[in-house]
Amino acid sequence: MAKKEIDQHSGIETTGHEWDGLKELNNPLPRWWVYIFYACIVWSVGYFVLYPAWPGITGYTAGILGHSSRLEAIADVEALKTVREASAKDLVTASFDQIRAKPALMEFALANGRAAFANNCAPCHGTGATGSTGYPNLQDDDWLWGGKIDDIATTIRYGIRSTSDQTRVSQMQTFGPPPGGGDPVLKKDEIAAIADFVFSLSNPDYKAAGIDNGKKIFAENCIACHGEDAKGNQELGAPNLTDKIWLYSGTRDAIVAQVTNPRHGVMPTWDGKLDDMTIKSLALYVHDLGGGK
Amino acid sequence: MMTAKTETAGHDGPGRDQLYAEHLKIYPQSVSGLFRRIKWTLLIVCLGVYYLLPFVRWNRGGGLPDQAVLIDFAGRRFYFFFIEIWPQEVYYITGLLILSAIVLFLMNAVAGRVWCGYLCPQTVWSDLFLLVERKIEGDRRERMILDAQPWTANKVLRKIAKHVAWLVIAWWTGGAWVLYFADAPTLVKDLLVFQAPLVAYLWIGILTFTTYSLAGFMREQVCIYMCPWPRIQAALTDEWALNVSYRVDRGEPRGSLKTNDKLKAEGQHAGDCIDCKQCVVVCPTGTDIRLGPQLSCIQCGLCIDACDTIMDKVNRPRGLIAYDTDINIARREHGLAPIWKLIRPRSVLYVAIIAVISGLMIYSLTTRSTLGVNVLHDRNPTYVVNSDGSIRNGYTIRLINKASATRNFDISVEGLPEGAKLEIAGSSTDGPLKVSLAVDSDQTREVRALVFVPGDESHVASTDIAFRIREKATGETATHRDFFKAPQPLSAK
Amino acid sequence: MSLMDKHVVLEKNSILLVLGIIIVIAIGGLVEIVPLFYLKSTIEKVEGVRPYTPLELAGRMIYIREGCYNCHSQMIRPLRDEIERYGHFSLAAESMYDHPFQWGSKRTGPDLARVGAKYSDQWHREHLANPRAVVPDSIMPGYPFLARTDLDYRHIAALVQANRLVGVPYTDEDIANAETDLVAQANPDGKDVKALQDRYAVKSAKGEMISIPVARDFSGDGKVTELTALVAYLQMLGTLVDFKIYDDKANPR
Repeated sequence: MAKKEIDQHSGIETTGHEWDGLKELNNPLPRWWVYIFYACIVWSVGYFVLYPAWPGITGYTAGILGHSSRLEAIADVEALKTVREASAKDLVTASFDQIRAKPALMEFALANGRAAFANNCAPCHGTGATGSTGYPNLQDDDWLWGGKIDDIATTIRYGIRSTSDQTRVSQMQTFGPPPGGGDPVLKKDEIAAIADFVFSLSNPDYKAAGIDNGKKIFAENCIACHGEDAKGNQELGAPNLTDKIWLYSGTRDAIVAQVTNPRHGVMPTWDGKLDDMTIKSLALYVHDLGGGK
Repeated sequence: MMTAKTETAGHDGPGRDQLYAEHLKIYPQSVSGLFRRIKWTLLIVCLGVYYLLPFVRWNRGGGLPDQAVLIDFAGRRFYFFFIEIWPQEVYYITGLLILSAIVLFLMNAVAGRVWCGYLCPQTVWSDLFLLVERKIEGDRRERMILDAQPWTANKVLRKIAKHVAWLVIAWWTGGAWVLYFADAPTLVKDLLVFQAPLVAYLWIGILTFTTYSLAGFMREQVCIYMCPWPRIQAALTDEWALNVSYRVDRGEPRGSLKTNDKLKAEGQHAGDCIDCKQCVVVCPTGTDIRLGPQLSCIQCGLCIDACDTIMDKVNRPRGLIAYDTDINIARREHGLAPIWKLIRPRSVLYVAIIAVISGLMIYSLTTRSTLGVNVLHDRNPTYVVNSDGSIRNGYTIRLINKASATRNFDISVEGLPEGAKLEIAGSSTDGPLKVSLAVDSDQTREVRALVFVPGDESHVASTDIAFRIREKATGETATHRDFFKAPQPLSAK
Repeated sequence: MSLMDKHVVLEKNSILLVLGIIIVIAIGGLVEIVPLFYLKSTIEKVEGVRPYTPLELAGRMIYIREGCYNCHSQMIRPLRDEIERYGHFSLAAESMYDHPFQWGSKRTGPDLARVGAKYSDQWHREHLANPRAVVPDSIMPGYPFLARTDLDYRHIAALVQANRLVGVPYTDEDIANAETDLVAQANPDGKDVKALQDRYAVKSAKGEMISIPVARDFSGDGKVTELTALVAYLQMLGTLVDFKIYDDKANPR
């Protein structure tokens, strides 16, 4: 070791380090400082005992507090839910108009609806509620069973062609050859004519020979449900055929396919699966996406 | 093991070994004089403000808390008299901290460690604890004797009394702290009947412990070993700054009163310092100022008071220890007259920075908007085509009302083509592109806005638009720009 | 006392002190890190996590190439606020096929661990081309060239194989079909989609096929560009585990 150098002014040994002529004195550390260091080591022992600390061969020591950051986070989220249930109570008792009248309650309902939609509805209707072929787009203003808030709530609660007793049901007739065999209701060329006519309703520029004939056949077979003006009937779940919004695609071929052998989607009933508060929130959320009537 | 014994300043005097030094207890003696009086005054003012401020009321109306200074974590607001700060305005706090730092720099440029000596909580509370200690155990000499004597009933009684008094002050310190975070009178009541939240007791406990240990036991150790400020200030001070200094030129060579008087009578050179060590015994950090400026000196000026008292007694002029500058110390050694320079680039720069920052803050505080708007365009879907071919965009609008009264806002959209309309559920419409909404006092309100544009061939994929909100009574406005999205026009495909 | 004397040697000799520090930190590091390689319990048992499809893997490479991880994390921490904003906290199992993982440490932009299926493809396309076109306050740079650049997937089979080498359970079939699978996923009407989905979907405990890869025209122009791959990757992030059936309480950490 280097030989000791004593600072003349203070009489204290220096460390031998020098910067621009300044020398560092080798003053001792106070003893209590060392004791704090020892105290930290003792503290860590307590930590080992209380918290998860040491890995083993197949697992790790869990600590006697049984601490888990994940369970803690889950408990936090649960606690938040409890807090929110206070607002939820008002949601159950208030009417839709009353909810709308209270901005804070409405804000809560929409947030709640957004979360419930992502968890329950998004798999079919899409995370943005835009649907896909066979699954209705809930963003636009075209509704099969009505776009009023009560209609939407009923649809969510009881579903369409679902297992509920009060489900909404509609059944379009199979105009093509029946699955079990036998004579079709309409012949192929008749169906083609209907398709020409229906396609022309939303495509005014479409010209085909079958349109006029199709109009006649349509009047005989279809107006009971779809109406004379082909604008549908939401009481019966019959779609509007005059707009550009289609559940099963709006091409002429798709129309032929649907008339020949109709497809029917199923929406499950959420009654009993979701509580009143959630169904109400969902109805408000879906209605306020923008298409609601 | 070898022990290197050296006689130096108190904190590392006898008893130290090579690696670690024993803590030597310091027994500061009481003193009276100008600086002691200043320190008492500042102590009363600082502690008075700290303990009483939470009880000062300030009526804000609008159902807002009426506590003048309140940090409301649950409500996410900071109230300071007429100022109310929202979380997103935390830059005001940042500005305040920067301002405080520069003010500290300025203090340093003018008069060294004024902060350390007079204003630092560590100094103030240590002073208070020392006062209690002196009242119960007596002055320096009595305390030293008491500590050295065996445990008698008297000693036990005095020690218990002292620690109880310290703990009460420490507890009170912690108690005052939590009052800044909740309505003070209510919390005091709750605390007394044990109905206050656990976290309040926890914080009181923590602050009781820190006050008791830091002001009762650690004292000068905090300044010498734990605090970074003495190191920083060493880089901030300069030769023009006033520092508590021993006037070497006048004091040395020191000697007893008799010897030096005799030398002087003989016409020989003799100093004014009579080596009575009063400056050391009154020092709260045990520093010997006669060794020159040093880290452990907090520049509280108590040694000035002590020395002046002695100088008066021995009929020598005051000011052997005084606020002085390095420049003047050097000049006196060369027999030159002292010069002072308060206005110099360093101090001017600090004052300028302080003026600019406080000016900016006052300007932005007085002109800040009491309303705001944030808009989030729907990301899924970006647009919707309706059955009549019109195009719809959805937006989530958050309105911010920072005033302490419910206010009505007009929301309008600019930049849209003819025939467009704006709809917000649950609000009244004042025309196709204007909607009225009320927002409660000191609240935000989130609404979903729908914008419709008629569908025709003339639409473009993206239109720049702006949401403007206008407060009906004052006409104050805020704007947020966004877009209206539409499908690619057919012509572009 | 004598022990304290020995300590002086360490304190006065910097080389010895550095060596001592290295040894102490190495012990701490080994105790912390080594068990992660053999403890099975560090990765939760979950249903649905599958290796990336070739298109997603290619997108992941673009994500890494463009340095997205510099501003975006993929790690939702178990904290209430993060769960509220981003969704369920990230599981170790969700990044077990990541080589290297993209947890990140800096959030200049938001966390992306669960960005999949949150926004539309259209939004991602516009956002990647010019972030300010959809988010006015965004400071993210634009990546318009992604849409213009055809995806170079000549080495995709080698990439899949390299991943297998580091432990991702790709089969020989996966490697052989990597190129067709990649093209198939970008073309929903193509004939190879079914084969891709059968190969990559996983069977749940109930016997259902889950985590079926989605085939879509991600770039909206029918081409296989770098944008296609990146959007495909982004749209699957965080979507594999079904948290309705995942048992949180069984996997405390």
